[in-house]
Amino acid sequence: MQRDVVTVEKFYTANETPLDLKLVAGASGLKRIIREPTVNRPGLALAGFTRYFASKRVQVIGNAESHFLKSLPNEQRAARYETLFGHRIPCFVFSRQHRPDKSFLKLAEEANIPIFTSSLITMKFINLATLSLEMMFAPRGTELGSMVDILGVGVIIRGESGIGKSESVLALIERGYSLVADDVTKVTLVDGRDVIGTSSDLTRDHMEVRGIGIVNVAAMFGVRSIRHEKKVDLIVTLKLWDQVPDVDRLGMEDQYVKILGVDVTHITIPVRPGRDLARLIEVAAFQAKLKASGYNPASELNQRLIAKMTGGKTL
Amino acid sequence: MSTARKHGDSHSISKELIVQNKLGIHARPSAMFVKTASRFECDIFVTKEEKRESEKIVVNGKSIMGLMMLAAGPGCKLLVRAEGADALKAIEELENLLRRKFDED
Repeated sequence: MQRDVVTVEKFYTANETPLDLKLVAGASGLKRIIREPTVNRPGLALAGFTRYFASKRVQVIGNAESHFLKSLPNEQRAARYETLFGHRIPCFVFSRQHRPDKSFLKLAEEANIPIFTSSLITMKFINLATLSLEMMFAPRGTELGSMVDILGVGVIIRGESGIGKSESVLALIERGYSLVADDVTKVTLVDGRDVIGTSSDLTRDHMEVRGIGIVNVAAMFGVRSIRHEKKVDLIVTLKLWDQVPDVDRLGMEDQYVKILGVDVTHITIPVRPGRDLARLIEVAAFQAKLKASGYNPASELNQRLIAKMTGGKTL
Repeated sequence: MSTARKHGDSHSISKELIVQNKLGIHARPSAMFVKTASRFECDIFVTKEEKRESEKIVVNGKSIMGLMMLAAGPGCKLLVRAEGADALKAIEELENLLRRKFDED
């Protein structure tokens, strides 16, 4: 599990269009690091109260701050600017098309702190920027295994090389399901609970099929055969038959593996020549979907059986 | 295994076993029975004692659905028949499993 370092530059490149950001000063400070995944409105700091000032965050100057600054006498305003730029701030954003005054821009250049303007209204900007920062700060990692979206169930297929992962994935794509990632799935933890799988940008839409080579799935099977990202709901491990001593015959209790610290349902499918793996994985996904909706076929059948045998007693 | 070999290659052993756990042979005991039975080479068949001969069904002792279908509640008599080289050992283990009440209760 790793966390990326989020620089102002990274925030800027990712959000230039969606947040309509324009860099107006302090370009030399783009390498500054944003240390907290949220934004701050520095109202109190501008009013002179700088204890607890959340200076590590992106500072947003909205309507209120802008007008407040204008209302201050020149001398006082200069003093407040001085205190503000005394902090190690990653960057400022003026929302609602507000423009910083000349002295502010000058101070920013001197302190190497980037200043952006945005046409968005402050509330909208704060919501979008927080979401984007949250994603950038999310813990991430990689899982060895291909990922397929089977009717809304995100399935990572794991197994030793040569056990039949790619063939299964191919067969699933032919059945109309979508490829998320081949061979290696990048995972991100969103909101501390959902594991989102995606492919690396470089290999997206492509997969390797032994004997054929690199295949462009989107070009071959059409746009519905690929999916950019999907929540991971199920991990399927393919294992050779004789390496599974204790195969689950009931499926009554769920088993889990931890991905980025979160439990994800896990099943092991024993592999033997002639087994239609794709079909089995498909059914496993449907079963996971049913169970997620609160229906466990094994325990329901068991309840029925016990009721019949004992005349009313239940587990 | 050695006991079974002494008896030769092909033979059939039957034994009557009584279901002793409170809930009968439900899903979990079925799974344990099947797992134990599957470790042996021999064929294993299970019948539940019924009042009427026509209601008797013989199921494969290595099939979960089969065993559950018997609906063998507490106190039921099961006739377990094993056929094959390791039949004796298989019966012993299965008998032990029922005596242990499938580690339940």
